Amino acid sequence: MRRRPPHFAILLCCGLLTVLRASVADERTGESTPATDDSVQAVAQLVDGILQQSWQAEIVTPAAPATDEEFIRRLYLDLAGRIPAVSEAREFLADKSPNKRLAVVEQLLSSPGFVRHFTTVLRNALIPQATSQPQFRSLIPGFDAWLWEHIAKGSSYDTIVRSIIASELNLNNGPALASTTSPDAFFAVRELKPENLAAGTARAFLGVRLDCAQCHDHPFDMWTQQQFWNMAAFYSGFSRPEDEDEANPAMMNITEQTASRSIKMAGADAMIPAVFLTGTQPEWEQQGDRSPRQILADWIVDENNPWFAKMAVNRVWAQFFGRGIVDPVDDFSDNNPPSHPEVLQLLADDFVAHDYDLKRLVRVIAATQAYQLSGRQTHESQTEPAHFARAVLRGLTPEQFFDSLAEAVGFYQPFRSDNPFVVDTNSPRARFVDLFRGSAESPLERETTILQALAMMNGEFIDNATSLEDSRTLKAVVDFPAMTREEKLNTLFLAALSRSPTAAEQQRFGDYLKSGGVENDERAAMADVFWVLLNSSEFLLNH
Amino acid sequence: MNTHSTRRQFAKFSGLSLLGAAASGWLPSMAARAAQASKPTSRKCILLWMSGGPSQMETFDPKPDHENGGPTKAIDTSVPGIRISENLPQVAKVMQHLAPIRSMSTKEGDHTRATNFMHTGYLPQGPIRYPTLGSFLSKELIDRSCDLPSFVSVNPFRAFSPAAYGPGFLGPSWSPLVVNSSMTGDEDNRDVSFEVSNLKPPRNVTSAQADARMQMLASLEHDFLKDRPGAPGRSHVESYQQAVRMMNSAAVGAFNLDSEDDTLRDAYGRNPFGQGCLLARRLIENGVSFVEVNLSGADGAGGGAGWDTHQDNFDAVKNLCGVLDPAYATLMNDLSQRGLLEDTLVIWMGEFGRTPAINENTGRDHWPKSWSTVLGGAGVKTGQAYGATSVDGTEVSENPVIVQTLMATICNALEIDHETTNLSNVGRPIPLADHGSSSIEGLL
Repeated sequence: MRRRPPHFAILLCCGLLTVLRASVADERTGESTPATDDSVQAVAQLVDGILQQSWQAEIVTPAAPATDEEFIRRLYLDLAGRIPAVSEAREFLADKSPNKRLAVVEQLLSSPGFVRHFTTVLRNALIPQATSQPQFRSLIPGFDAWLWEHIAKGSSYDTIVRSIIASELNLNNGPALASTTSPDAFFAVRELKPENLAAGTARAFLGVRLDCAQCHDHPFDMWTQQQFWNMAAFYSGFSRPEDEDEANPAMMNITEQTASRSIKMAGADAMIPAVFLTGTQPEWEQQGDRSPRQILADWIVDENNPWFAKMAVNRVWAQFFGRGIVDPVDDFSDNNPPSHPEVLQLLADDFVAHDYDLKRLVRVIAATQAYQLSGRQTHESQTEPAHFARAVLRGLTPEQFFDSLAEAVGFYQPFRSDNPFVVDTNSPRARFVDLFRGSAESPLERETTILQALAMMNGEFIDNATSLEDSRTLKAVVDFPAMTREEKLNTLFLAALSRSPTAAEQQRFGDYLKSGGVENDERAAMADVFWVLLNSSEFLLNH
Repeated sequence: MNTHSTRRQFAKFSGLSLLGAAASGWLPSMAARAAQASKPTSRKCILLWMSGGPSQMETFDPKPDHENGGPTKAIDTSVPGIRISENLPQVAKVMQHLAPIRSMSTKEGDHTRATNFMHTGYLPQGPIRYPTLGSFLSKELIDRSCDLPSFVSVNPFRAFSPAAYGPGFLGPSWSPLVVNSSMTGDEDNRDVSFEVSNLKPPRNVTSAQADARMQMLASLEHDFLKDRPGAPGRSHVESYQQAVRMMNSAAVGAFNLDSEDDTLRDAYGRNPFGQGCLLARRLIENGVSFVEVNLSGADGAGGGAGWDTHQDNFDAVKNLCGVLDPAYATLMNDLSQRGLLEDTLVIWMGEFGRTPAINENTGRDHWPKSWSTVLGGAGVKTGQAYGATSVDGTEVSENPVIVQTLMATICNALEIDHETTNLSNVGRPIPLADHGSSSIEGLL
């Protein structure tokens, strides 16, 4: 187990001291300068207005507003991909400025955590095969590095998507495809097959599930087999040698004829031309020598595309609420209508009007009262997640989970910004991410498996993290002479749950500590309490 | 002070905390579950899943007299009149325990949808999340005295369709315990083991300490979850309870195959599927209700979906059968010799069959129209082949069987009423097998 550098304990304790002295904390308020963009607030209010109307119509009583403690944990998880450090939580909770929630949103939007977290989320959405199928794992670093650059420099969403679809693939690169900073993994996980690329493009960027129309007219939807192959024709330039071994598709043997505009449908003789899903034909003559993929990219990111912007805002919305306005997020169809079409339209229009700016979209969503509701249910009508009337329990991504665990226990994670291609598959992070990768389709259905429970209860990592000899956080707290028992307990709660214990918990856990626990040793009892906090659903879930 | 807890000492902790948990009512759903009257049946089920869609012609429905049959020869079996592919010589000798169904007809030729269909009995549609076979059957079959999870899945290949392997609307308490094999030894002396990691508490944690921790955790969970309903919280608490129960049970010894006779282990085949079948028998013996064992690869037959033989079908299927044949035959013999077969239904199937016509890559493509599955054990009238296909294999010529019928048959063989319903996530009661289906009369 790697450790944080020794000065961490000191830093942590200094942070504690700072906040323990109320006067110091007061001086700190007002330091931050929130960027209060009135138009962000205006759109957020419109969203809330629509939701409130729907609550009235459906006789829903929304939950109370989230407390600062609830808000700060949720926001860090959603924006930075981890829970706040003790010092970060304390600083926010002590801040008295009325704009502090907006300010911390801004602060996190410009943090490396935001870039890292959004890279992971977007990668999982665009190349899900890279995590589900071991043979594609090696494609992750190159794709991540490419996405990372774009998100870090604030590229607009349409720029990112256009760059993927129209990417100039380095087909001759062969095995090196995996280790270039490029979006090529989008093509590689689909084995450069026009059918897979058509289905993947429609699903990832438009939320349209064409997949089944490959073999037959879609049984429950409007899509025909013809339309599927019309879409595939945009990718028809890829061809592979006839005698290729299907089990080992060799990417370097594939060539691309960028002039190809039609494709032979499996099991039929006719050539099917490239036609957009809306039924319009590309105007090839006016496009000069632009390739079908470039033309497809233009059509997809066009502001008049009926799905593109809605799909994007729906995905980001789902990231913040655990559920899309259309849910599953990538299933836009007549049979799966949005819960709040006006919200979807409003956010999509705003997204387009602001040049597909992802950060603005995040600002708007985070500014809504809906996002800032409590997770505590006060009325039965809050049970239905589609009402967005309460912050429901939802699973973390495995990356969010491990990064939060590392934050809580003071585990130092080296990040190789100099070379993101170095991937240690045996690192604790890699092993936890593997173990905690869920099979549920929605974060609202996240399941803790027995194997996960056993790892958290008995595994080496948690054992070290709750050991008086090995745990950074625990050691810093236990051995800090200036803290009272109550303050120590409070710090452990802040480290794991980003909140102070309730009065009842203060009593219950305080008594346990005071008695020295079952081992008659207050320090060991402290380890017990920390173990309990780390094993709780409150720690494991977002809420 | 006791610093090293032993298993025996630790056993105290689970009982106590479980009681404490139940008494404090922190888990109303578990309590409700325990209160449900379970069916008075001792039936169990093993599903041998052939990921990718196995070729019927090279397994249970050979056509040596037609060009569609390719080079595959047919051999006699222990049941006069039933002939199967030469790829399965050992299975041929246990045909008296098996009933091939040669007339499956399912209309779904896409891996994802077909995997869903064959695993749940329903086509994926709309918002309803149908539970997988292991979930809805183990819910009916569960033996509450068993300390192991009622549904164990060995080496699943879930990439085609994660949803086809989950409990769907039944919720997390009916999820499988997933165990993956690990390979040990060198190439000449390979062995396979199954280990459930982290079953023992850390060395320096005493049993009293572990007990205190669980008690405190229970109260923390109670306070947090009482006004935060939802599947993720429920699942978390339930999995901890199941984990604790397993930690303290001697039944986990079932995962350790070392105590088995070497000859028997060799007979099953020293590969993940062969040893997985042996594990399945041991788990059934220990009270587990449903075990799924996946076969999706063999040396010389691809990775995740080895049965998906679009190319080089004949060699690939031969290699896969080299793994399947000894494992399947030994499992049937082993179950029979131990008196377990009467109560254990063994299902052999994949998501669809393969095209009778051989394609230009010496392969066979997806074919749901006329293909084979096999049932055995649990009172199934074995020693007969049910249904038939036409001479060229392209049509069902006798007794077509649809998925819903197969599902009803499986339920009834397990002494479960297939019209039993569960409340779905959309508030609609869903029967185990789709409305209007009935089981295959000639087989039960």
